[in-house]
Amino acid sequence: MSITFKNLSHTYNEKTPFPSAALNNINLTIEEGTFTAIIGETGSGKSTLVQHLNALLLPTAGEVDVNGFVIKADEKIKNLKSLRRKVGLVFQFPEYQLFEETIESDVAFGPKNFGIEESIAKAKAREVLELVGLDESYLNRSPFDLSGGQKRRVAIAGILAFDPEILVLDEPTAGLDPQGAKEMMELFKKLHTDYGKTIIMVTHDMEHVLNYCDDVILLKNGEIAMKSDVKSFFKDDLTVHELDVQPPHIVDLKRRLTACGFAVDEEAFDLPSLVASLKGELQHE
Amino acid sequence: MSNMVLGRYLPLDSKIHSMDPRAKIMCMLFLLIAIFIPAGYVGYAILLAIVFVVVLMSKIGLPYIFKAMKPMLFMMIFLFVINMLVIKRGNLLFELGWFSIYDEAIFQTLYIVIRLLLMISITTLLTATTKPLDLTLGIEDLLGPFQKIGLPSHIIAMMISIALRFIPTLIEETQRIMKAQASRGVDFEEGKFMEKIRSILSLIVPLFISAFQRAEDLAYAMEARGYAPENKRTRYKLLKLRAFDVVAMIFCALVIAGLVGVAILV
Ligand SMILES: Nc1ncnc2c1ncn2[C@@H]1O[C@H](COP(=O)(O)OP(=O)(O)OP(=O)(O)O)[C@@H](O)[C@H]1O
Ligand SMILES: [Mg+2]
Repeated sequence: MSITFKNLSHTYNEKTPFPSAALNNINLTIEEGTFTAIIGETGSGKSTLVQHLNALLLPTAGEVDVNGFVIKADEKIKNLKSLRRKVGLVFQFPEYQLFEETIESDVAFGPKNFGIEESIAKAKAREVLELVGLDESYLNRSPFDLSGGQKRRVAIAGILAFDPEILVLDEPTAGLDPQGAKEMMELFKKLHTDYGKTIIMVTHDMEHVLNYCDDVILLKNGEIAMKSDVKSFFKDDLTVHELDVQPPHIVDLKRRLTACGFAVDEEAFDLPSLVASLKGELQHE
Repeated sequence: MSNMVLGRYLPLDSKIHSMDPRAKIMCMLFLLIAIFIPAGYVGYAILLAIVFVVVLMSKIGLPYIFKAMKPMLFMMIFLFVINMLVIKRGNLLFELGWFSIYDEAIFQTLYIVIRLLLMISITTLLTATTKPLDLTLGIEDLLGPFQKIGLPSHIIAMMISIALRFIPTLIEETQRIMKAQASRGVDFEEGKFMEKIRSILSLIVPLFISAFQRAEDLAYAMEARGYAPENKRTRYKLLKLRAFDVVAMIFCALVIAGLVGVAILV
């Protein structure tokens, strides 16, 4: 099972005097169970790409296959709900989608839409709220009295509550403080490792890409400029340079050390292992 | 929704585009008044000819005008059917059991359709050739004289321009929220009555919250830059009437006079 894009293109306002091409002939496979980052500068088509995964946008040419569910250009989709239940998409700034009187019923809203019985939906709401770090005392509070970061947690819980196999996140940490962003990323890591979810995350933060993701896809002007696993992506500093990506601190540090004549271990992607490798080299001399 | 035609500005370069917005608004008002002068078919022929020439001059093209008309098509058909059933005057054209059509019904319907067509074309011409901001400047100036009787013309103009500015933003926001809720399994097209209400609530509540948030932000931003509606403000863009504008206004005023003449003669 996997997600496959075949010759997919998307043009906004296609049949009007003002068409604008956002994606151009995308061919791509994302394996089940991976944690994939989608990066690229603003306007490169990241949000457009991920909205094809639960058919919020339909391809204007080509097709996408999500675990056997095929979405083609010019073809009406049957069973849209079952697809949307399988692929949970968390929008950029999802806190704007809250509307219920209590947090509990807002989180239970999604499961109920997918036909899950009220009492089960509420139990599920409790469970995922716990998971995102909001305890029982929040259940009957209004979602509008929360801080920005807490609202975001509630919104994400609202997607987790119907247990999607694939979790798609569009810049989930945008606008959060560093600590809040870190907690959020730890949550996604847990969902990936402990719950076995396939995660696809749009992000601008290279530290998160390096520390949490398996694979990385770089979009440029609506086309795939590069897809590889994260380690080789950052190892190959030519690509990092030419593709105009701001590297993570550790990669930058390694590059500077190499420039100063140190032989740095290519596989070292965190401070302790980098220090260890440098120590080894210094003792040699 | 973003391919909506009604009220959209088309950035072209034409004699009509470069007219003073005040003159354009006055011309539009004159022509709209002219539509309601009962000058029969001669009157409508004259107006249609004028609109046709102006559309050509503006370069926006007839297809664009027809597109603007599309949302009204249903209403026109509806009117047609109602008139057929209700108006039973004039000569009998057709009869089948209880169902009959009189020529008066057809004439009445045609009158209404032509009027609607003219009104839409004329207003579309104004909005398609005038930038929203120029339009509000024009409205503000035209309302200026009423300030003496206490009409806050500047505030009205500012409200109109802010509203115009935020229409596309709100449409975008609506689409965004609809997509977000669709991801949570909301079906905006089907569903039972209660489900429908829930799905509409899930759209309206976030929309209102974000609209109020935007309004508040905008108000603070304006205050921070010293905006106070009662203060005198100078303008970056000064409107200037040119010979063509004056001629156009006189022409449109003459159209009214002419049609009144026709109406009396007929
Ligand atoms: N609703 C829309 N109508 C028309 N054009 C759009 C629409 N949404 C996006 N676009 C255009 O499509 C292109 C890709 O947009 P997209 O939102 O996918 O970029 P992105 O990579 O997500 O950017 P960001 O990092 O800023 O979120 C942009 O050029 C944008 O202007
Ligand atoms: Mg985006």
